[in-house]
Amino acid sequence: MRLIIRQNPASVGEYIANYIAKRITDFAPTADKPFVLGLPTGSSPIATYKHLITLVKNGQLSFKHVVTFNMDEYVNLPEDHPESYHTFMFREFFSHIDIPPEQVNILNGNAPDLIAECNAYEAKIKKHGGIELFLGGIGEDGHIAFNEPGSSLASRTRIKTLAYDTILANARFFNNDVEAVPRMALTVGVATVLDAREVVVVVTGQRKALALCKAIEEGVNHMWTLSALQMHPWALIVVDEDATAELHVKTVKYFKSIERVQDEVEAMHARFKKDGNVDQPGTMDA
Amino acid sequence: MSSPNGLVCFTNCLLPLEDGSLVERDLWIDERRGVILDSQKTFFLRRERPDRVIDLGGNILSPGFMDIQINGAYGFDFSVYDGDDEVYRAGMRHVAERIIETGVTSLVPTIITQEKSLYPKLLHLLRPFASPTTATLLGWHAEGPFIQMAKRGAHAPQFLVPARERFASFEELYGAQNLVDQEDWLMAEGNDVGVRIVTAAPEIEGVMPSIPELIKRGVVFSIGHSIATTDIATHAVYHGARLITHLFNAMPQLHHRDPSIIGLLGASPSLYPFASTPGSPASPASPASGSWHARQTSLSKRLAQLQIEGPGSPAAAPKATSEAFDDQQTPPQTPILRALASTDDLNLRKGKVEEAFERPFYELIVDGIHSHPNSVRLAYSSYPDGCILITDAMKILDPHLHDGVHEWRDGKRFVKEGDKLYLEGTDTLAGSVVTLDKCVRNFSRFTGCSLGEAIKCATFNPARCLGIENKKGTLRSGADADLVVLDRKGNVLSTWVKGKEVWTKN
Repeated sequence: MRLIIRQNPASVGEYIANYIAKRITDFAPTADKPFVLGLPTGSSPIATYKHLITLVKNGQLSFKHVVTFNMDEYVNLPEDHPESYHTFMFREFFSHIDIPPEQVNILNGNAPDLIAECNAYEAKIKKHGGIELFLGGIGEDGHIAFNEPGSSLASRTRIKTLAYDTILANARFFNNDVEAVPRMALTVGVATVLDAREVVVVVTGQRKALALCKAIEEGVNHMWTLSALQMHPWALIVVDEDATAELHVKTVKYFKSIERVQDEVEAMHARFKKDGNVDQPGTMDA
Repeated sequence: MSSPNGLVCFTNCLLPLEDGSLVERDLWIDERRGVILDSQKTFFLRRERPDRVIDLGGNILSPGFMDIQINGAYGFDFSVYDGDDEVYRAGMRHVAERIIETGVTSLVPTIITQEKSLYPKLLHLLRPFASPTTATLLGWHAEGPFIQMAKRGAHAPQFLVPARERFASFEELYGAQNLVDQEDWLMAEGNDVGVRIVTAAPEIEGVMPSIPELIKRGVVFSIGHSIATTDIATHAVYHGARLITHLFNAMPQLHHRDPSIIGLLGASPSLYPFASTPGSPASPASPASGSWHARQTSLSKRLAQLQIEGPGSPAAAPKATSEAFDDQQTPPQTPILRALASTDDLNLRKGKVEEAFERPFYELIVDGIHSHPNSVRLAYSSYPDGCILITDAMKILDPHLHDGVHEWRDGKRFVKEGDKLYLEGTDTLAGSVVTLDKCVRNFSRFTGCSLGEAIKCATFNPARCLGIENKKGTLRSGADADLVVLDRKGNVLSTWVKGKEVWTKN
């Protein structure tokens, strides 16, 4: 696992956007071989989306051959509700980039058969050959997607009841009316995320500091579902200074030292590929 | 130029929203159907996104402006009919073609008081007119002839009449076919949007009782050219009047003891408790207390008084029956409408009170001449949501016209000096020549409101007054894609009708 520390949320967003842009460009996607990208909602990824939009508007990046799968969606919330994840994704990202609408996939929380909807979603991801890169964020309780504390680390796309903490945290988006916050969501499972060939997670802000600490300094634990990332061969967590508040100084220093050689690693990786070798996920510091 | 899939996205622009704010947001339209799209639905449900993207460079994309009172422009006078329908229709089209350079995409041609035989003809000719490359003429605004002699302004005194037979008088004068139910009227020409406005003085005999029937048929009733006292004006609103014609002009000045028509903008919630009882606003609820009877009695007395001075005696001086009319005298009594002794709790929450009385919209001519900037600000501050900017322009309106002497009619001539227009040899204001886009800019400066709020007064507010805010004066999905691009100083850069660019600044 790599941990990248940046000064503030904006520079975290810029870093991840540039990283994703490079991965898409290097992949050289085509209509037949699109880049499959997993996407989150929430406040953390907004800075990333902003910078990706800038790259698209500047002509440095295109989503013409990118297929996206979103992590989650509320159940029984109208698709055009201001707080639905459809609305969020359209407003914050899809409306500003050049992705063809038919290449966008978001779970349908209003499907008549929710279980069938979840199973079809998993099948669709498989049909696309799995997810190349899954971008994620976390909640204060360390959840990734809506995989609340206690979720199975082997979970797949399914219906999930939201934790009380999450409902309280989301009430601010529903006129502070706890009753109005949806109680259920459809979400990809922890295993669905781990199946991606690469996972990138954005963690910003002091409020997420404890979750970050639990996820990377302690063991794999279903009470902090992000910790499952420790089992992934190619994971990257990008955080801001505030989010490191609960980490040991030793941990921070260690990861900072890794970053210093990162350029070197990537250059090496590029040479390796150029010499005709097959791309291997992971780096020497994974 | 056109989009392969017919969808267009405007980006990098500020959109004026219905609350008066300006937000950075994209707008999607369907240029083939000529409507504004719900972009999110188009993306997720239709699975389409616009093939054509137009970068507006940070400028403002507003709904097209709407002028609900305009007498003519570019040399054509809506009130002049020389016996040839085709000539008149060509004139209508000419105005519709030219006016788009001022950002106006819909207007309501206004007929000033005419010789009575002309009305059925003119109003029939002024059925809604729309074409793909011009502004839309929404219908007609009949200003007169049921107006107050004392406040006739430029209207010909010999043509003013009372409505002795009440609604039948309206039908007889305007032509019954022009006053049929809204649905039938629109259906006759296959239109989906069309409006009719009548400006009349509620104190004129037969006018007040005709208001409910006019409203029922979909006609907007506007109080104007009137000396209605506060209680008469209030009563007119209860009957269904929802607009005041060119506020401040052709009405009593604001007197603090009887604020008359202008005072409606400040209608005190304490004075109108009876509107909260069940019953439509057009028919005041049955008396809840004896004080209502007292009001009714004094109201009919006042109406009777005013009618004595009304039309039929053009020579009669405008005697002041309203206290507001006479600046010298202190009114002998406090207003007839007095606050009911209320035992209700007082409002403990800061902010807007619940209004039982719906204040009427009001038109303002913001040329800096017809109303002083202070007056404009005063009106706007008291009731921002009711403010409607109009030009009330004469046929001489034409931003390309040079200053100097111009022909009017009947041998009379105008002198144009900037936005001022005089009758030659006098200092009498002869109407307005200001364009609506300039009114919007003036208004923002005069009141200190934002450009977005000023735009609202030339788009959403008039549309709401006319009940067509689902189609015009808005950026809602499903509305007509009639748009105007403005720079951040409010200057018109281009005008769009039904999704097509029809005018561009050189």
